[in-house]
Amino acid sequence: MADHAAALVREHFSTAEQQRETETLGMWIFLATEVMFFGGLFVAFTVYRMYYPQAFGTGSAGMNIVLGSINTAVLITSSFTMAMAVHSAEVGNPRLLTLLLIVTMLLGCIFLGIKFTEYYQHFLEHRMPGVWFDYAGPAASKVQMFFVFYYFMTGLHALHMIVGVGVLLVILGRAMAGSFSAGYSTPVAMAGLYWSFVDIIWVFLFAIFYLQGLHV
Amino acid sequence: MAQPVVPKRTYLLAYLVLLALLLLTTILAYINMGPFSMVIAILIAAVQASLIASFFMQALYESALVRVVTAGGIVWFLIMMTLVLTDYITRGWLPFPGK
Repeated sequence: MADHAAALVREHFSTAEQQRETETLGMWIFLATEVMFFGGLFVAFTVYRMYYPQAFGTGSAGMNIVLGSINTAVLITSSFTMAMAVHSAEVGNPRLLTLLLIVTMLLGCIFLGIKFTEYYQHFLEHRMPGVWFDYAGPAASKVQMFFVFYYFMTGLHALHMIVGVGVLLVILGRAMAGSFSAGYSTPVAMAGLYWSFVDIIWVFLFAIFYLQGLHV
Repeated sequence: MAQPVVPKRTYLLAYLVLLALLLLTTILAYINMGPFSMVIAILIAAVQASLIASFFMQALYESALVRVVTAGGIVWFLIMMTLVLTDYITRGWLPFPGK
């Protein structure tokens, strides 16, 4: 097993540990750029909400907090199973790793299913920005702006989820082919970092979109 | 430094605390706290985020360099937020002719 790990060290690294640390650092730098990527949207949302708190509260009242909470629980659970998958890879348990990766992907798909159900409900309620949008109350254009942010930010998040499921598929394929051992499991850990990061983004999206609309 | 292997119990504990915080923040959403409901929701989300980053993403167990990069991501975001808001919040504080 040690030989297997040693064989996977690229020539520009002295040790497997140096390679692992470099890859981890690179992944975190990528995630820092992702923070800025989503960060711009969070800043824009903050500015608009500061200007139109009433209309954004009205928009938030159209959210389904039950589905939102269930979805958050699903995503936190998937993050947990992903962390356990990384753990199984680190201790060299390929069978458990495969199982946990499949569970994580299934939870990710359940999340997307619930999310798209919500999109469909908003669509039926004419809360889709554009010509289809219809809101009879005051400040309709501001309420529409809330839904622009909602669709854009949760949509970008959903896109990240879809990419995450794709990444896990690749990792699953490699795990089933026996590519990982106790000495070499960095790709699993990197996929785990990405998956949990996407979970973190959702926790904030849940806080700004779902939790504000009950007292308008 | 060897590859950090976080014990299973730590993951489970973090997971349970995360679910408890989700329950708490959802219950608090039903209580009307005016502008503070957003503040509290964001604060709880920040605690959840740091738990996920610290344990599920093992940031606590990584080298100082990785932790600096992690903190860097947050700090740059806060700089962006602060600078933008110093503009938008203070607009209209001073009367400029022609505005």
